[in-house]
Amino acid sequence: MARKGLQTEHDVSPNLIPMVDIMFLLLLFFMLGADMGHRELEVVKLPLAQTVKEDKEDADIETRLTINVFHLYEPEVMCAAYKAEAICRDKTHWRIAMKGKQYADHKLLVKQLQRYADTQGSDPSKPKISEKKLMVRADKSAPFGLVQEVLKDAVMAGMYKIECGAARPAPQ
Amino acid sequence: MAGTQNIGEASDNPVAINVTAMVDVIFCLCLFFMCSFQFKQLEGKIESWLPKDRGMNTIATGQPLVREEIRVFMKWNPDSGTTSRSVLGNEAQHLATDTELMAVIRQRRDEYTSQGKTDWPLMIDAQSEVPWQDVVHLMDLCKNEGLPRIEFAAPEAPIN
Repeated sequence: MARKGLQTEHDVSPNLIPMVDIMFLLLLFFMLGADMGHRELEVVKLPLAQTVKEDKEDADIETRLTINVFHLYEPEVMCAAYKAEAICRDKTHWRIAMKGKQYADHKLLVKQLQRYADTQGSDPSKPKISEKKLMVRADKSAPFGLVQEVLKDAVMAGMYKIECGAARPAPQ
Repeated sequence: MAGTQNIGEASDNPVAINVTAMVDVIFCLCLFFMCSFQFKQLEGKIESWLPKDRGMNTIATGQPLVREEIRVFMKWNPDSGTTSRSVLGNEAQHLATDTELMAVIRQRRDEYTSQGKTDWPLMIDAQSEVPWQDVVHLMDLCKNEGLPRIEFAAPEAPIN
């Protein structure tokens, strides 16, 4: 009886379609999960608080101003204390920024706040109060004095609706 | 017969498309997003209102000189790297733990409530060196306790 010879050569072509499907799903996940928001350009380690309110449904989120109080980053300044998550009290290491611009002069910051808050040029005898909100995103180790100065500037600019940025601690 | 064929066999796809280039591009895109991926921190806010009668809007409010309030002092100790807290009236007593601090605040609140006083703020009087995290933590404790009015003590603005 003649035996059928074994076929030794196969045309191996892996089916790429399921892999492409999975790759697409992975890509979609990473694209949607990517945090592309610049957060007004500064990275801030926010203080943790249990009672923070999420502001997803906030209608004023588009018109809200954000002021960041942050520590200078590593290439710009080498701070061993900040790197070790300790408290840095070197005044030259801390900055106040709004819309990507740093403000060392508080008078200038008040002027800018007045411009955005639309209170500039109002009659001094009947000053306007802005209904716009101001979010203060301060680093958790920032000195309170710096935040206090920002709040003072906000008052001088006629803004009184203040939101303090905080992060919710991760569930244990 | 089609039923006996494996899925994805060449006979199923009469028009062969070279997917290698597409897979390469998807790999590159995936790599980019994977490397730049970081989990978004859940951010929120603690709402607060500044007084309307300061700064550019200086309208006399006729408030009494002696205010009814619970004033919490916060002092930064650089040597120990900690913030000490005390409450007005008990300045000598440093409240190291949150439980001790909230017990004193609760006691004051009950005193005001028993006197029928409801409109008083909790004033945070912190040194400028105190870390923001400690101030926010105190605000958080007070919000948890249901204290609605939290204010920051600040030096009066100089009159120009």
